[in-house]
Amino acid sequence: MPIWISNCLILAGCAALLVLLRAFLFTERSRRALNRLRRDRIGIVCFVTIVALLLCGVADCLQVVPRVTLLDYAFRNVPREEGYSAPLAPTTFNERDPKPLNGRHLLGTDLLGKDVFLQTLKGCKTALIIGGLTSLLYIPVGALLGILGGYYRGRVDDFIQYLYSTLASIPGILLLVAVMMTLGKGLDRMAIALSLTAWIGLCRLVRGETFRQAAKPYVEAARALGQSHGKIILHHILPNVMHLVVINAILGFSGLVLTETILSYLGVGAPVGTASWGIMIDSARMELSREPAVWWPITAASGALFALVLSLNLLGDSLRRAFDPKAA
Amino acid sequence: MNGTYFYRLIASAALLLAFAGCDNNPHPRPLHAQREDGKPWVVSYRAVGEDPRSLDPQFSYDTLGHGIIVQIYESLLQYNPYKTDPYELEPCLADGMPRRIKNEGSGTETYEIRLKRGIYFHDDPCFPNGKGRELTAADFVYTFQRIADPAVECPVLSTLQEFIAGLGSAYQHARQAGKFDYSRPMEAITVVDDHTFRLNLLRAYPQIQYWLAMPFTAPVPREAVEYYTGKDGRDLFKFHPVGVGPYRLAQWSRSRFIRLARHERYTATRFPQNGWRSSQDGLLQPLAGGSLPVVDEVQFAVIREAIPAWLLFRQGYLDRSGVGKDVFNSVVTAGQTLSEEFRARGVRLYRDVEPGTFYSQFNLENAVVGQNLKLRQALSTVYDQERANAIFGNGIDIKAEQLLPPGVIGYQPGFSNPFRSQSLAQARKLLAEAGFPNGIDPKTGQPLELTLDVIAGSAESRQRAEFDQMQFQQLGIRIKIEENTWSRFQEKQLRGLFQLNSGSGWNADYPDPENFFFLFYSKNVPPQGSNYTRFSNPEFDRLFEQMATMDNGPERLGIIHRMTAILVEQCPVIFTHHPVTFTLNQPWVPRLFDNAMLVTAKYTVIDPALRARKIREWNRAPAWPLWTLGGLLAAVIGYVVIKARRSAL
Repeated sequence: MPIWISNCLILAGCAALLVLLRAFLFTERSRRALNRLRRDRIGIVCFVTIVALLLCGVADCLQVVPRVTLLDYAFRNVPREEGYSAPLAPTTFNERDPKPLNGRHLLGTDLLGKDVFLQTLKGCKTALIIGGLTSLLYIPVGALLGILGGYYRGRVDDFIQYLYSTLASIPGILLLVAVMMTLGKGLDRMAIALSLTAWIGLCRLVRGETFRQAAKPYVEAARALGQSHGKIILHHILPNVMHLVVINAILGFSGLVLTETILSYLGVGAPVGTASWGIMIDSARMELSREPAVWWPITAASGALFALVLSLNLLGDSLRRAFDPKAA
Repeated sequence: MNGTYFYRLIASAALLLAFAGCDNNPHPRPLHAQREDGKPWVVSYRAVGEDPRSLDPQFSYDTLGHGIIVQIYESLLQYNPYKTDPYELEPCLADGMPRRIKNEGSGTETYEIRLKRGIYFHDDPCFPNGKGRELTAADFVYTFQRIADPAVECPVLSTLQEFIAGLGSAYQHARQAGKFDYSRPMEAITVVDDHTFRLNLLRAYPQIQYWLAMPFTAPVPREAVEYYTGKDGRDLFKFHPVGVGPYRLAQWSRSRFIRLARHERYTATRFPQNGWRSSQDGLLQPLAGGSLPVVDEVQFAVIREAIPAWLLFRQGYLDRSGVGKDVFNSVVTAGQTLSEEFRARGVRLYRDVEPGTFYSQFNLENAVVGQNLKLRQALSTVYDQERANAIFGNGIDIKAEQLLPPGVIGYQPGFSNPFRSQSLAQARKLLAEAGFPNGIDPKTGQPLELTLDVIAGSAESRQRAEFDQMQFQQLGIRIKIEENTWSRFQEKQLRGLFQLNSGSGWNADYPDPENFFFLFYSKNVPPQGSNYTRFSNPEFDRLFEQMATMDNGPERLGIIHRMTAILVEQCPVIFTHHPVTFTLNQPWVPRLFDNAMLVTAKYTVIDPALRARKIREWNRAPAWPLWTLGGLLAAVIGYVVIKARRSAL
């Protein structure tokens, strides 16, 4: 695929996401919640952190020339070294014959001489792809099945409950590893594998909320006015469960990033050559027993993972508080 | 003080006393304190990563099992400890080297082998009265019958049946009958008398002598195989070996340790009389001609993780250790000598070149790499093994430029492979000549894409794959990495479903060039053999057939060099390295020989007094925490007493 098409597709995807968010924020309830969120400093800091990390991910998706991304281009002056070097060190690390480096590296270099800071930023791309692609796959499925089960009840609900109860009874990581072994390695395949189980939590939440909303007078009134089921679901139920979907998507995103890290750490996740925090941690863990220890790759990857996951969780909490009518 | 409280106090005190009896020695007590002649009972302490899967010599084909089997079983021949360049065989159970008889006209050959007299199996309940009986020629008939028995699953049967008469037909007969008939005579062996037999070959095959030094042909007693069936509370034979070797299995506590004790009636070999360097005279002269084994007991502790094993070595509880990657720089200096810290401890460092060669393989049946010699040469030229060695091998492995490793007849020291120059400019030139200038495929206008198959089982193997990718991509081509499990990788090799793969290699079964060149013989293309590259060259095949049946000499050497040149020119593989290992021996374990083919413990010498002294010295508990604690306690008591007195006043 030509670069310009892939770049356009990525930008179009980002634009579509913004439009969707804007549409969601257009409701009165969301606007009030956002006003409350603006006063939540922790929420704002977390939001900025997430946006910054995700922008790095987007920058590593946009290609300047084939196989050179915007992020690579920004770091084009950072040289590759012969092997490990400690943060800001002038020579290679603890080699019997230390060699001078071609440049300085803020977070040092890894075994293959790659800049750890750049690799850490590149890890955002994997997190973005896994979190984003899986969310795109599981959110519509989870929300739709949840609403259908909660609205129609009866056999539809029984079937949906049976489906997620069966899937939920299989140990998560085991199922993921089995699916990954069958599908093979690749970020797209990992997103499919993750979405197989990720929708269950959302479906349960939305189903419960739909039960509650469907019993409310405004839904009764819509029915009395002769509105179709489709219109009731789309115009009345969906907007009132959307806040749950957003909160769940944000909290779920951190879970997906963590699961990708675990799978990559286990060697069944991201393929060779992919900048992934899980691979970085897996590659560096044995180096901790070296004398002296090579601590910087694992610290950088764990730090970035910690920052993103913590920010997502705290932002999710802030959003939940903002949308909570009791808090208002 | 009530009764319950008092008993709890007593129990706590007893528990504390019990703790005082603990130490960090992981080994069980030796079997005896001293020998029957009053000399101290000496134990060698070693470590293995896990329990061996089988100690059946006709079945086991892994390094871990091999290290234990060779202590319990012995073969007709063995490697001379001091002849390593080239390696040389000498009699072990055989009374002299086998006599080669050429059967004129038929093209077949026979080896007549006489056994030493007075060689006894280990004492074991499987024998009448528990006393091991004498080894006879009939035991070798039984051993070769076991090799052909489908139930034993001997992994080298497919190779041996090519050369030894009757093995293949015996196997097929047993397959059809559903059971091996041990009463049928064996065409492979003709018994001359109780201590002499003849081994019948289908054709000339001088390498058979190396097979006679391997555990596959080590004699096993029929009584033991039939007694240890896993029934009536008895072990399986594979877990209860009985042989004629210098040690017998005394105890095997699964996941904990394996204990071997000396075979009291061992007489097969004695300590060599000569052959060592003159600098070793002082150490070895007193042992010359002496009885074996020198050490009375060998304990293998099962230690799964590398770090605990390393810590035990540092504490003196293991006699030997490898040098792990994570501790390498603290043990070995830039000049590949021992660091000051370990030298001060008296530890000795040994460097051994393994008789093996590693390489990346091309599939020559593949339309892209198989038909394009210049492309293969370009890829071979660009790969920087020295950097790979520095990153992944601590810089100690030897860069391979030819198939044969050091120590094997035909290895050419200083040989320079023109397609292993690691020159990017030369590689680019070759790539342009191959039809891909700057790595671009003119048909598509895009970079040429090749698929590299790797076994990605660990973080390091994935890093190595990424390194390989980086190396080849310097040429402007694209390398797609296909990650495989070990079994999938093997399957792809067998079925030819790869373009280029890395991480393959061959460790010598025996140090003869035939054991390496057969990997490129066209009749060994899978499923017939292990020619995974599908290399086929009529001149090479002709030379191989000629060389395989020749005795060593200048003519054979000339052929070997020509075969090496063909492989270098045709590039079916990219030679990477000959593995090198570093071993550390404690000051009480001098190394007596440097022979990678000989892993027996029967020559091991230990100074137990020095070991006991060093262990005490290295594990002395520091006194300062006790003094500090005592001081603190005294201060607290003093404070309380003063306070109490003041309150009383």
